[in-house]
Amino acid sequence: MKGIVFTEFLDLVEDKFGLEVLDKIITQSNLESGGIYTSVGTYKFSEMLQLLQHLSAHTDISIDDLLLVYAEHFFGVLEESYPGLLATYKDPIEMLSSIENHIHVEVRKIYPDAELPTFEVLEKTEDSLVMVYKSNRAMHHFGLGLMNKTFEHFNSTATIVLEKLKEDGTEVKFVINKN
Amino acid sequence: MSQDKIDMLQRALAREKAARKQAEKILENKAAELYEAKQKLEKSYSELEALLNKTDSQLQGVFENIVDAYVIMDLMGNILKMNDAAVGLLGFSDASENGNLMDMVHPTDLKLVAGTFKNLLFEGTVTDSNFKIVTKQKIEKLVHVNASIIYDEGKPVAAQGIVRDITEINSLQIQKERLLEKLEKSNDELQEYAHIVSHDLKSPLRSIDALVNWIKEDNKDKLDEISLHNFSLIETTLEKMEQLISDVLVYSSVGVETLEKETVDLDALVSDLKTILFVPDHVSISVIQPLPKIEGEKVKLQQLFQNLISNAIKFIDKEVGLVEIDVKDNGTHYQFSVKDNGIGIEEKFHEKIFKIFHALNKSKHSTGIGLSIVKKIVDLHQGQIWLESIPNLGTTFFFTLKK
Repeated sequence: MKGIVFTEFLDLVEDKFGLEVLDKIITQSNLESGGIYTSVGTYKFSEMLQLLQHLSAHTDISIDDLLLVYAEHFFGVLEESYPGLLATYKDPIEMLSSIENHIHVEVRKIYPDAELPTFEVLEKTEDSLVMVYKSNRAMHHFGLGLMNKTFEHFNSTATIVLEKLKEDGTEVKFVINKN
Repeated sequence: MSQDKIDMLQRALAREKAARKQAEKILENKAAELYEAKQKLEKSYSELEALLNKTDSQLQGVFENIVDAYVIMDLMGNILKMNDAAVGLLGFSDASENGNLMDMVHPTDLKLVAGTFKNLLFEGTVTDSNFKIVTKQKIEKLVHVNASIIYDEGKPVAAQGIVRDITEINSLQIQKERLLEKLEKSNDELQEYAHIVSHDLKSPLRSIDALVNWIKEDNKDKLDEISLHNFSLIETTLEKMEQLISDVLVYSSVGVETLEKETVDLDALVSDLKTILFVPDHVSISVIQPLPKIEGEKVKLQQLFQNLISNAIKFIDKEVGLVEIDVKDNGTHYQFSVKDNGIGIEEKFHEKIFKIFHALNKSKHSTGIGLSIVKKIVDLHQGQIWLESIPNLGTTFFFTLKK
């Protein structure tokens, strides 16, 4: 997993819950990296999972909700780092439907070793989109947060319903309707 | 500050420090990677550049050395590039001079060229287009053009063409056609002339024949043996004269190629001939292999076999005469043979006998034209004729006819 996902996560935790909580979840976790992350490095996903689990236990907030908040924060990072990529889109439905065929293609050019989820478009109209998320990380709520922010970015809102196709959340259907 | 807090802050600081070092190390490696990639790029760039230069100079060489005039023009006809041959053909002083090809088209051919140009744009190519141009030196030339459109990302941007000066070839062609026409006409005239002459020559011959007969009749009792013999010599000579004239007529008509070629069954033709020809009882004619069917003129082929077979019969001096006709396939041609067991022909005459009026045997039946006709017919069928002969044993004539 790319280092920027870790560094931004730790920054957010420190920001929202303070340095003590951050220190706690790092020391509680058994991390290969020792909790030392840089945005340019690459680290194991299992480390993120441990950090999330400990944070969830400590704050009583579900992992899904944590991921949702984190994703909303992370969208800001993307907005700042890749304004050009976002500027190529005029519409949130357009942008979301091209995750697989455009955005992830570009991501792989920058990070050839990135491990990305897939988003298969099942249906698409002018204001609706049905996609299936597949990833063994089961980070569907991270995707949901990014989607919410995408609509916000284009000054609109949407109703997004998640339907788990697999119990463990590795396959999730997103039904998106623009308001 | 509590010890716990100090410890925590120290841990956080240590993490930050370690992260910085880690980031520095990663970036250091990235920089080295980038440097290496740059070196590689530079190397392949210079390799590509060398390759491009090589290809470029090869193309330039082709462009300059092409024998035909080669011109590249934009879609308005403005010349963008031309080789030395084009400079010469179009009458420029050097390749850098500006010019428009459309302006050089001869006024009478403008409409034609406009149509051709339209075709070029629509189809992408134009082949074998001929039109007149006026060169920079005001010389009219007839040119032959093959052209094609050059596309850039699917859009036509220019046209290239190979231009040939066919002024001279064309005038030669016209000259040749005129000559052929003239030749044909004079051939026809000659033919007609031969007809008239033979007719005109034959009628005084008949008169002489009649007069001689009358004199002979009128003076039947007064003429002695010698005179009567001389009279019969006159008659024989007259007959021969008439035969000679007829043969000349045949010979002159053989050269005329009629267009009516047909499939001729030579087997049927020869068996017909056997019934038509006078074959003495002591002579037998046999066909060894079935003869093929070939494309040709029936009348002439009949004449060919008739002359050779009757020649064979004529010169048989043996008690049992044999004429054998045979054939073999040699690929492009059929090779025929007509073999006899006659008097034979000495080798020194082998060439001569095919020439007109070269009868070896002075008799009233041989005018010396028969074999000349044979040769002419074989020539017409793109074949060859020759013979093998042993004096007193016999002769074999060989000839080939194109399939």
